[in-house]
Amino acid sequence: MTDGLQQVKDWILKRHPERDDIPNDLDLIENRLIDSLSFVEFVFLLEQHSGRTIEMETLEVDSLRTLDAIEAAFFLAEVK
Amino acid sequence: MAATALPVNDRFLEILERLSEKSIEDYYNPYQRFAWPPTLDENRMWTSPDLLTVYGTEHYDRLDEDTLRRLSKWESINFYSLNVHGIRELLIEVVGRIHMPGFEVPSDFFHHFIGEENEHMWFFSEFCRRYGGKIYSSMTMSADSAWESEVENFLVFARILFFEELVDHYNTRMAQDDSLCDTIRQVNRLHHQDESRHIAFGRELVSLLFTRMREAVSAERLREVESYLKRYVVFSVNSLYNPHVYRDAGIADPLGLRNALLADERRRVQERKAIRKPLAFFLKTGIFSDDTLPVL
Repeated sequence: MTDGLQQVKDWILKRHPERDDIPNDLDLIENRLIDSLSFVEFVFLLEQHSGRTIEMETLEVDSLRTLDAIEAAFFLAEVK
Repeated sequence: MAATALPVNDRFLEILERLSEKSIEDYYNPYQRFAWPPTLDENRMWTSPDLLTVYGTEHYDRLDEDTLRRLSKWESINFYSLNVHGIRELLIEVVGRIHMPGFEVPSDFFHHFIGEENEHMWFFSEFCRRYGGKIYSSMTMSADSAWESEVENFLVFARILFFEELVDHYNTRMAQDDSLCDTIRQVNRLHHQDESRHIAFGRELVSLLFTRMREAVSAERLREVESYLKRYVVFSVNSLYNPHVYRDAGIADPLGLRNALLADERRRVQERKAIRKPLAFFLKTGIFSDDTLPVL
């Protein structure tokens, strides 16, 4: 797991103390780890740790659904 | 949506009638009302200084005057953009309920509400496009969820009411601020005039919907609703801190500034001024059991 993704995971865990871990393929939205109210904060967090600008209008929610998808879309693209 | 009738009383009916009459008496044509000068003076503030998101912190003191003026311009475009998107979303909800079971009594006023909100959305979007060349994008994701209809109906109108009261704090201040240009003061003044009716209506409707919801759901569900609504309050306040605004104002490290402001307790003092009235309403009606707010 990249450092950036670990920070993203830590951010989610801090907001859900009932959880010990988050499987990489868990649907974060369906399981309400990210909801409509925390979504913006989450996107800004991704921008900060990935160093990329994210355009909300063109953002595909599927690229944020799981830690695996987030890593592929925001943290691994350069080394692909 | 709701099948149960609203527990209306004489007070509600009287207020509805009075507000509907006032909507008709005060009706104006927004498409003819504004002069829309070709440009607004970039050397003046576009937002009252004490409403800027950096106010009350060292960032307000460290930014030079030019940057503060640019910030006031882009924060104003952000504020009116938030209005555009907020209205767009609330219209969808109200249109979904007008003339539907459970909303027979307020449906007549909904017609005024929908018409006026559509016109507000127009003049806010006109302001953004004319003087900012854009509307900042919506920051919302619609992936929620499954509240039961009594709860969903309550939350829809509680969110609308909170949003209107938050905006009204800014409108009231800027409508009275002599240092702002006439166009900015006029936009804020007209919106405040119409919104005072919508807020009066919203407070009555939310109180009735809360009464109906409280009888229909468990105490645990009520706590979840309170928790959600408090998160919505913080979400709305946080939307004023837009890193794209800081970038457009030429401020280095826009995300860093946002994080610093959200972590700065001096900003909570300013935010509490903006949300004082809706928070007092939520406490008085028992919708909130206390005034603590979470971190998102």
